[in-house]
Amino acid sequence: MDGFTLVLWAVRLIFLALLYLFLARVIRDLLRDLRAAAREPVERPGRLVVLESPAGEPPVGRSFGLDVITALGRDVNNAIVIDDPFASAEHAMLTYRGRNWYLEDLGSTNGSYVNGHPVAGVAALGYGDEVQIGQVRLRLERA
Amino acid sequence: MALGTPRAVEAPGLPRILGPIRPRARWNELRLLGLVAVTLVVGSLSLGATLSGRFGLYDARGLAIYLGALLVAHLAQVLAGRRTDQVLLPAVALLGGVSLLLMERLPQDLVVQTFFGRTFGLADVQLTWLVCAIGVATTLGIVVRSDSWLRRYKYTWAAAGVGLLLLTFVLGTEINGQRLTLQVGPLSGQPSELLKVILVVFLAGYLSENRGLLVEQDTRVGPLRLPPVPYLAPMVAMWAIALGIVVVQRDLGAALLFFGVFLALVYAATGRISLVLIGIVLFLLGSAAMANLFEHVRTRIDVWLDPFGDPLGSGYQVIQALHAFARGGLLGMGLGGGLPMIAGRPPIPEIHTDFPLAALGEELGIVGVVAILGIYLVIVQRGLRIGVAAADDFRSLLAIGLALVIGIQAFIIAAGNLEVLPLTGVTLPFISYGGSSLMANALVIGLLLALSDKGVEPPPPPGVLPRWRRLARRGAA
Repeated sequence: MDGFTLVLWAVRLIFLALLYLFLARVIRDLLRDLRAAAREPVERPGRLVVLESPAGEPPVGRSFGLDVITALGRDVNNAIVIDDPFASAEHAMLTYRGRNWYLEDLGSTNGSYVNGHPVAGVAALGYGDEVQIGQVRLRLERA
Repeated sequence: MALGTPRAVEAPGLPRILGPIRPRARWNELRLLGLVAVTLVVGSLSLGATLSGRFGLYDARGLAIYLGALLVAHLAQVLAGRRTDQVLLPAVALLGGVSLLLMERLPQDLVVQTFFGRTFGLADVQLTWLVCAIGVATTLGIVVRSDSWLRRYKYTWAAAGVGLLLLTFVLGTEINGQRLTLQVGPLSGQPSELLKVILVVFLAGYLSENRGLLVEQDTRVGPLRLPPVPYLAPMVAMWAIALGIVVVQRDLGAALLFFGVFLALVYAATGRISLVLIGIVLFLLGSAAMANLFEHVRTRIDVWLDPFGDPLGSGYQVIQALHAFARGGLLGMGLGGGLPMIAGRPPIPEIHTDFPLAALGEELGIVGVVAILGIYLVIVQRGLRIGVAAADDFRSLLAIGLALVIGIQAFIIAAGNLEVLPLTGVTLPFISYGGSSLMANALVIGLLLALSDKGVEPPPPPGVLPRWRRLARRGAA
């Protein structure tokens, strides 16, 4: 085997090795990314606790973690399904914008209430306030 | 004089529309791209030494253009300053570079295109498409900041896709018995490549909207519990479209890809394996019927079951591919060392589109092929990760679907090359020759890049439906 063939073999093996080096580096990055994601706590800006629910769905005492945008209503596509005969399919929307909470009524038949007052359009609310959708009462709390 | 005077006027900033743009270093991407460059240079050395008998880069100009394009893509992303994924571009760049090395060593007259009186061979045309693909992916990754144009018009996109499909059915040119290519004036392309992206966009929109209903179980068929009947309709429609593609276009690969992506997305959205099982049973039944009814499907399956039954006819390509893998063995013949010509032609006629994995298997061996398949896995992992971290269902399903399109397509053609599945004519993403394929896959990567940027524009609230739908729903309630 002459020198040229030997060097050529070496180059071929180096090429294959580099392919695997690339893979190894990428996988190291991916693992690092996954570990960082696992450490990161899931930040929920708040939660809704069910205080009163005559129909039993959702049950009293149940706590819902809230996202920045949370849809409430009787339709199964809502984040919080309120299966109450007095709730509309798309009843209300709870949003968290710029450190403030807002409840928006989506034109429901029986209206939404914050601390017993009907919501006309959008109402701001804070932690400890009570929201009523249909016959279901919920309290906004810090997560 | 002006010495010591405080600066009174600030330089005018960029226009407000763009917002403040701050360059952001992407060290991981740069490091990985550097590794890609070293790998490709070594590969080019290996190729040059094997083919010309002395050490030197093979087609240094092509390689330089390719690496230059990668550097520009990286710098553009650094300047744009978005916090997008840093692994996708290097992974795709390595696949594209391997493709370039492969196309440079295949006979250049497999593809000849003439522009402005100059003739370009296989490698030149592929290089042009690769550079365009990198450009498209990077541009999308920088420019796309909102997904409402995909989310809101999903039925429009679906209609456009079906229109494109019908257009191909009617006007398509038949090549090798497959009606895949649509020719409009001097431009020709394979719409099915674009169609797979449209399919994912539509499915992501449809499934994210109707997810709750699909999870509900109120239809019973024997021991199975199924979603409400109207929501099974798209499933049946999808099945019919896949079979239609097999019958009219004779394109088994696209049918398999579309249906596979559909089932994977249904599973991702609902988490119900029963739907997937039903889909697979339907597909197997359909395939069995097709195999009995249509000659071209039966031939494929016969070749799959016994390629040596007709070694010089229908089984020829598959047998040559198996021989190529066998010659490659563990470490391969080295880049440029494979494929002895038979009468001046490579033994596998469609090697640059349908069998690049066989060529790589011969030249890099199983060690190299496993590495290449590993890179596809990396791309799929990135897509799934982006999907998991996405802000809402639509983005999540879109990212998962886009990644799976590439993964499933790579699987189908790799399995076809290796005789695991019947051979179908889809391309190996980023490695096969072909403009349509490269452009569509660049679109996929560009969208994934854009989706990986967290915290740009929050998704619209789920209640924002068109007014008539909201009214219709309230009426129902």
